[in-house]
Amino acid sequence: MDSRESSSSSSSLPEEDASLSLAKQASLLFHSANFADCLTVLRQLLLTKPSDPKVLHNIAIVENLQDGFSNPKKFLEVLNDVKKQSEKFATASGDNVVGANNLESDVVAVSSGNPCLIPQFSAAHSSSIVLNAEFASHVASYNIAVTWFNLSEYSKSFSILEPVYQKIAPISEGIALRICLLLLDVALLSHHASRSAGIIEYIEKISSVRSMISQSESSSSSQQHPPNLVTKASSVPSTPISDISIADSATNASEISLSRSLSEEAEYENLFSTLDMSGQNLSRPVHHSLNDISRTQIDDSIPIIVDLRLKLHLYKVRLLLLTRNLKAAKREVKLAMNIARGNNSMVLFLKSQLEYARGNHPKAIKLLMASSNRTEIGTSVMFYNNLGCIHYRLGKHQTSAIYFSKALSTSSVIRKEKTQNHTHTSFAADKSLLVAYNCGMQYLACGKPILAARFFYKASLIFYNRPLLWLRIAECCLMALEKGLLDSTGAASTSSEIKVHVVGKGKWRNLVIGEEVPKNSRADLIGQSDSSLVNDRQPKLSMTLARQCLLNALQLLNSSESVHMSSGLPSDLAIEDETYSKSTNYKSVSGGDTQAHNLAVASGQVANGELKEQKSTSTPNSTLRDSISDYEDICRKEIQIIRQSILVDLAYVELELGNPLKALSTARSLLNVAECSRVYIFLGNLYAAEALCLLNRLKEAAEHLLIYLSSGHNIELPFTQEDCGLWQVEKIGDCEEFNGGSVATNIASDEGQVFALNPEEARGTLYSNLATMSAVQGDREQADKFVRQALSILPNSPEANLTAVYLDLMLGKSREAISRLKNCSHITFLPGSFAVTGPS
Amino acid sequence: MISRDDSKTLYSLLNSGDLRPFDQISGDFFSSFPASLHFRLCSSLAILLEDKSVLRSSQRLVAYAILYQAYSSQRPSSNPFISLLVDAASDNDAEKFERAFILQLLGSSGSTSIKEVLKQTASDYIKCFDIASHAFPPREQLQQQFCEKINPEQDHCLFKSISVKNVVPDPDVPRGCDVNSSEFDLQPGVQPKIGAGDRNETAAGLLENFSFQGLGPQWIRPRPPRLPVQYDELVWLNPDNHHELLWDNGMCADTSKGAVVRDLIAKALKGPLAPTQQERVLFELVSDPKIVYHSGLTPKKLPELVENNPLIAVEVLTKMIHSTEISEYFTVLVNMDMSLHSMEVVNRLTTAVDLPTEFVHMYITNCISSCENIKDKYMQNRLVRLVCVFLQSLIRNKIINVHDLFIEVQAFCIEFSRIREAAGLFRLLKSLE
Repeated sequence: MDSRESSSSSSSLPEEDASLSLAKQASLLFHSANFADCLTVLRQLLLTKPSDPKVLHNIAIVENLQDGFSNPKKFLEVLNDVKKQSEKFATASGDNVVGANNLESDVVAVSSGNPCLIPQFSAAHSSSIVLNAEFASHVASYNIAVTWFNLSEYSKSFSILEPVYQKIAPISEGIALRICLLLLDVALLSHHASRSAGIIEYIEKISSVRSMISQSESSSSSQQHPPNLVTKASSVPSTPISDISIADSATNASEISLSRSLSEEAEYENLFSTLDMSGQNLSRPVHHSLNDISRTQIDDSIPIIVDLRLKLHLYKVRLLLLTRNLKAAKREVKLAMNIARGNNSMVLFLKSQLEYARGNHPKAIKLLMASSNRTEIGTSVMFYNNLGCIHYRLGKHQTSAIYFSKALSTSSVIRKEKTQNHTHTSFAADKSLLVAYNCGMQYLACGKPILAARFFYKASLIFYNRPLLWLRIAECCLMALEKGLLDSTGAASTSSEIKVHVVGKGKWRNLVIGEEVPKNSRADLIGQSDSSLVNDRQPKLSMTLARQCLLNALQLLNSSESVHMSSGLPSDLAIEDETYSKSTNYKSVSGGDTQAHNLAVASGQVANGELKEQKSTSTPNSTLRDSISDYEDICRKEIQIIRQSILVDLAYVELELGNPLKALSTARSLLNVAECSRVYIFLGNLYAAEALCLLNRLKEAAEHLLIYLSSGHNIELPFTQEDCGLWQVEKIGDCEEFNGGSVATNIASDEGQVFALNPEEARGTLYSNLATMSAVQGDREQADKFVRQALSILPNSPEANLTAVYLDLMLGKSREAISRLKNCSHITFLPGSFAVTGPS
Repeated sequence: MISRDDSKTLYSLLNSGDLRPFDQISGDFFSSFPASLHFRLCSSLAILLEDKSVLRSSQRLVAYAILYQAYSSQRPSSNPFISLLVDAASDNDAEKFERAFILQLLGSSGSTSIKEVLKQTASDYIKCFDIASHAFPPREQLQQQFCEKINPEQDHCLFKSISVKNVVPDPDVPRGCDVNSSEFDLQPGVQPKIGAGDRNETAAGLLENFSFQGLGPQWIRPRPPRLPVQYDELVWLNPDNHHELLWDNGMCADTSKGAVVRDLIAKALKGPLAPTQQERVLFELVSDPKIVYHSGLTPKKLPELVENNPLIAVEVLTKMIHSTEISEYFTVLVNMDMSLHSMEVVNRLTTAVDLPTEFVHMYITNCISSCENIKDKYMQNRLVRLVCVFLQSLIRNKIINVHDLFIEVQAFCIEFSRIREAAGLFRLLKSLE
């Protein structure tokens, strides 16, 4: 090994010099955006280093910039290759470490004389801390992440950057900051609140650390620990004067004798006086001054990041908006406004988002209007999209639809322009898939399930890991079923009317009561053929598809829940703990704290909650931490609600598909959800009862209904109006006390029947189903009582009326049955237009 | 439901009973309808037969013939309508010729073979019917004969099994008139009066509209509500921050600079460095803040560095304050033997960076117990004095909150109250109380 190294170093030295100067030249050309010449130089460099991953990497970067990001896929492939290769190099050099350690001095000598060794090698042999694969390829990883980011693939970008961030400490500061900022953007866009907070904290730390270092540097010459102290210590021969034995306190009970030198006396006095000089050395460096960062950036030959301070404020605003701490967000926006002179469109957009979140829609619109700069075509996509969001919230669906489609058409214009002329500007990220989701929501709200599903499918390209998306597609299927748009069933699922065929005339007239296809046989055969692919632009809506989507959503929810459900401990400490353990990443950032914290807990010496009292830094970040723990609470609750919603839909779908067993188990798991909404409990009981009936398990079915029976034949309201609160939106208005109470209005009228059932109707439904069940059990008298009560609440329910008719017919009272039918208001008599000529 | 055309065809088959023999009609039935439809058509016929007034006698006989013939290739007991046939055959209210006909179909009565019977037309059969040549076995016997192998049908769904026929006669005749009187039958060539109706029309219409399931009690299955739009479900778009692609400066870069530091640090672990060497290390550490990660230091080696070169240790730890490994270093520092140098390092660290509170507390606890455990009085005094001024410095500089450690520190002061600095510390404590 030794010989190999030395031989290579001696022979290649001039060559290395040459390549070094070529590399410098290439770098200069690159940073002056002279890509063509840069490429020539790089190709030259490649001749001497044919498979150097870093050269290949830079070539890929230049080529990609030169042709204007025309082929991101290929670009990613090249970068991934580069990354893999560097990692291979790194592990290869890691293998050498073992051997190298023994020959430490030799290797060091060689490597110091040889400037162009593989970087990992010279460094990795010495220490376990650093140089590993990540270090070698972090620039490539960053560039991959940037590309995914520009493609709106945030989760991919995130997964690339995260491991880099875990080991960010050794990375040079300029690049580390770039990595942090990108990861922060990605984390915010993918709703990783605690991660985002961690990164913000980290950025603040490193930016202040740098200033501290420079200050201590400048002041060190005047400080009281000049090198002469060391001089003194080392110049005096170390002769033992006395043996002092100090018993080690905790860990080591054995007594260790330490030999002290004469110089120690001097040191002792020195240290003593240093400590005793009260407050003289407390010149704690003042935090902040970000020009240090920009200085390193020049070192790294990266364009200076202009105003990190403003950026950090804006990131905090975004984080606070994400965590719904609107008050703090408002404060932060103000701070940002003070720093940002003039119209910074980013600030205005955020301010508008804040007002939108607060429900102050007119102001949000005003701010949006002020922001643009609509001539910039990329901004106009966002502008229209956001207007669409605002109008959606205002319940103005027509207007909202117009804005969303404008946003989409604008972004398709951008796409066209991009393919036509290759510009050198980095491409504006394509937002159309994000807007597509909004469009889907919009059409779903307008009751156009097929269109909505089409947009959701588009959005699924990037939202495939969001449970909500799949729930929405399932809701499209359910709505299509409701509207009779499913291929298999021509008719609407629950006809709001009874259909009666009138056959014959006069004496021979007969009434044929509505062809009620038994519900459990309404399974759609079409969907069974194949599951529509995600890429299919026109998904075939069906109950089978609905089931698939719901199962998907459930799966995703379970995996995301494992993140959010990890805690639940009540104490302060637990909350702290949770914020740390939430993400391994966060841990790494505040690793010191965590470790020390664990240590403290382990030794039991530190009282609970002490972390909260940590000095300095805490004030601004405690807001962030608080809002994050609040946010995690909110997320948990939201996940619960989504879970309930998925389960209730799934139970319904299984019933529709004629799978009472699955419907039953789904309904049961719904009923087992902790803090389940009473509305969902009601539906769960109803579905479970029906499933049990279909399974001929009447007694168990009855149990699900009888819990609502208070005394005799009276049923209490299964839920109250307040329980329906979930389905009502906040009243829009200019309200400061948004966080507090907000007026709720029922939006059912606006938003196309989110939920039609009110508590009273739910009661009627229970009566009617109890009547049905009593009838099935043969207790006609009871059935009769129940059905009468059902009809007093739901006089127009076709099901209740038919049950009543059934009971009449059962008792042979066909006259009553007929008169009941004739008095029913929701009934259609279809003439039997059948004529046959035959012998009479 | 049967399609309109199918029901028309079927009804015309029923009507042809006056002119054509049974076997021809059933032959037509087989040729007109695919086997998959047979059951549904037969079910409709069965329902139609239930009401005796709808079909005329000849039509009924044809219907029975079809019901039988459709499944004649199998044994009678596997005919799904066998119970209906048996019921009809043993129905005392029914016409005798009808019952006899069914019995003959089933092959349990009469001298003439079934084939010959089927060669007749329906009207001929009725005309030539001779009651004397027929015996009517009781229902039980018939049931035993034909239904024994049928298990009581297992209904899959209760809603179905208890359903009633969904056809209700609703005669539309003037009030007070007898529905059954023949005056409301349609007379050819006569203007139909109010209340008159055509039996044929009704029968065919019923055939079309019959539903096999009948009417059962209805279960209300409310649709699940749509989940309302969530707080941040709609995607709000903000202008993106621009993230440029990065040029890798590591290309062909000089990687040797770490070597010097590594070398010196290795020496620094073994003994105090010469002043120039120390300066060199400090210079390198400052000029490249990341070089510390290439210095070859590990937490295990830290105590040696602290003892031999406390200033370098401080600088190294300061540079690594944000790395993930720093906690390991702190743990080592806290647990190493208390010494002048370790205290110096900790003291300098407290003024240079934010140390985790727990760490400082642990260190103080360690100091205090070290003081208590020293046997040598002289050294103990020295150490106690040092710890006291150290604590005072920490308190004055607000690096620790006294109240967190109050009891512990107070006990320490009292124990060593003979020492001047301890008394001073005690006073400081009291003043802060």
